[in-house]
Amino acid sequence: MKKRGKGIACIFYGTGYGNGFPDVSRAYAELQPDGKVAIYTGATEVGQGAKTALSQIPAEVLGLSVDDIIFINEDTSITPDAGTAAATRQTYNTGNAIKMAAEELRNELIKIAVKELELNSDIGLKMKDGKIFLEIYPDKCITFSQIAAMQEEPLRKFAVFTAQTVQIDPETGQGAPYWPYTFSACAVEVEVDTETGKVEVIRGAHAQDVGRAVNPTLIEGQMDGGFAMAMGYVIYEDLGLENGKIWNNKLSSYIIPTSMDMPEIQNIIVEDPENTAPYGAKGIGEPVMISVGPAILNAIYDAVGVRMTEIPVTPAKLLKAIREKEQKEA
Amino acid sequence: MDFNVIGKSVIRVDGLAKVTGKAIYPQDIYMDNMLFGKTLRSSVPHAYFTLDTSKAEKIEGVVKIFTAKDVPGHNSHGVLFKDHEVLCEKKVRRIGDPIAFVVAVSEKIAAEAIEAIEVKYEEIPAVFDPVEAMKDEIKVHDGKSNIIYHYKLRKGNIEEGFAQSDVIVENVYNTSMVEHAFLQPEAGVSYVEDDGTIVVCAATQYPHFDQLEIAEAMGVPAEKVKVINPAVGGAFGGREDITLQIHLAMAAVYTGRPVKAVYSREESFYAHSKRHPEIIKIKTGANKEGKLLALEAEIIADTGAYASWAINVTRKSGIHVTGPYVIPNVKVDAYAVYTNNPFCGAMRGFGATQVPIATEQQMDILAEKLNISPVEIRLKNAFTKGSQTANGQTLTDSVPLVDCITKAAKAIGMF
Repeated sequence: MKKRGKGIACIFYGTGYGNGFPDVSRAYAELQPDGKVAIYTGATEVGQGAKTALSQIPAEVLGLSVDDIIFINEDTSITPDAGTAAATRQTYNTGNAIKMAAEELRNELIKIAVKELELNSDIGLKMKDGKIFLEIYPDKCITFSQIAAMQEEPLRKFAVFTAQTVQIDPETGQGAPYWPYTFSACAVEVEVDTETGKVEVIRGAHAQDVGRAVNPTLIEGQMDGGFAMAMGYVIYEDLGLENGKIWNNKLSSYIIPTSMDMPEIQNIIVEDPENTAPYGAKGIGEPVMISVGPAILNAIYDAVGVRMTEIPVTPAKLLKAIREKEQKEA
Repeated sequence: MDFNVIGKSVIRVDGLAKVTGKAIYPQDIYMDNMLFGKTLRSSVPHAYFTLDTSKAEKIEGVVKIFTAKDVPGHNSHGVLFKDHEVLCEKKVRRIGDPIAFVVAVSEKIAAEAIEAIEVKYEEIPAVFDPVEAMKDEIKVHDGKSNIIYHYKLRKGNIEEGFAQSDVIVENVYNTSMVEHAFLQPEAGVSYVEDDGTIVVCAATQYPHFDQLEIAEAMGVPAEKVKVINPAVGGAFGGREDITLQIHLAMAAVYTGRPVKAVYSREESFYAHSKRHPEIIKIKTGANKEGKLLALEAEIIADTGAYASWAINVTRKSGIHVTGPYVIPNVKVDAYAVYTNNPFCGAMRGFGATQVPIATEQQMDILAEKLNISPVEIRLKNAFTKGSQTANGQTLTDSVPLVDCITKAAKAIGMF
């Protein structure tokens, strides 16, 4: 028989290295001869979209499009250390460092524009598409490339951002171990085959706090990926670990979900800007997978009335639990 | 606030190169005069060993077989403790420990040479159960307790909290060790520039840290090492620890030629960290209105043969085991423990992924006993702006948890 059930779970997730350890990101913003702006930082693009999201931030600051940002992050000899691409920290930490560097560059450009355009102040100056101009009299205008041409050395600004956390007391755990925290909730419907023990996730709704969405499509991509990874974690993936040996060390026997296993998911982006974050944006790389797993486990209980305290819930394990429950009730 | 670029679904800047196959992953790099390296790994979990490389060295096309004695600087690496050996010297602590690195003119010859190396193991008792390992009867690292970290949280009065509770739920949950299964197994190339700078091209999450680890093992200043991070085929925490970077650097410096290595999927499973499996013993109490009054948890995280991020992961589990709820009385003990299992480290969620498997099922069990809905019990206890965590931290800003719960629940028809 096929039985359906629904389940929900919610979580919080602390961003960054945490626990008072200095969590530092560094970045340069440098004006190029053609008026584009290069960002130099050690933040790795691991597929999460760092290069794109972290280009959008300086583009916003400088009134440019993402095409006018050259993002350089592949070489330790020319980039400053921006910490690891982990702990959901790049958007928040390195995003802040890049925003600060871009703001310094913007301030410098404005200062130069005021002088070159022979204005009394920076009031009413706009920066857009590589131009700085006075809105009330647009003939007063200078381009980024004109400013670049005046420089003997490239205009280059550096910034460092260090996140704030407080080390916990070793005896009581009291402190402020992470900041910011990100929140999410996931609700799912599953179908359990009581003859085989197989669990199918029918649909899901996944609400993720993002602070502010920098790039909604990239966020949805992370949410889809996190959902899949969590499905693998709770119902599929088994290393076959025995006395230190991994029997399932290939993808033919270590089963991960494929696109064919994915249900319809409604990704809900919840915005509530965080004051200390760049434009309010919090990281989401890790929290997007966390609430999905326990939601599936709660839905399994709702469907067949067995509480699975051990993952992965493979068909064999679930079938055994269902049979034990039936025998107990009989 | 109006934005021009923020909030827009700009097409990813690295997208075109990736979908058209133009992006360069480390495996795509070929250089003139390039050699190939392969790693010999231990086949037993806990043993002293000796190597006889003489037959392998005689195979035509084998350039050099590196062992522990060939590591020019410190024969160690690790993100917290330097407890990994670049190449094990006399003892292996898990299946998959690297013990020799063969460099040859082709990948095929390197593989042949690996087969020809004779390894004599003197096996010693191993421990795979973290609870057993906590007794320290078998030590994974000589002279060091297997318990490498103990997180403690004490808030309020746990006995009183349970005494005041109308319902108490107590269970033990077991989470599993899992693999990141990123798309691209480890690969890399190393070469030496004219000025002596050692260049390592390998996919990593943290190039500047790899630079330091390579420099220490090579015995050179950090500025003599350059890490090039080409396109990365996924990571999820599995590229935090060193795998082939130092082996390649060592081989490039010794031979003066570019050296490349590519792991198979099977080798990749052993080469990088796994997710810590955890045993989570948890007791949760609430009053009849559904307000949480007490939570007590004991977490045992098996980090396998090496610490990697065990301390931080275990701390994160301990901090997040409360769930996103206001609870006045909390007691948590979380332990990180060495065993002879594959080593565990960072993986998406980093300790915060394991504990909700327990916490969030506890919430549903409590709700059922109290005859309220799973959504209701969560809303009654959820963090809001101004709430205090069990660690005593005030959540001052951006706490849209209730919004997340109601939106997800409504969408699926639970609210």
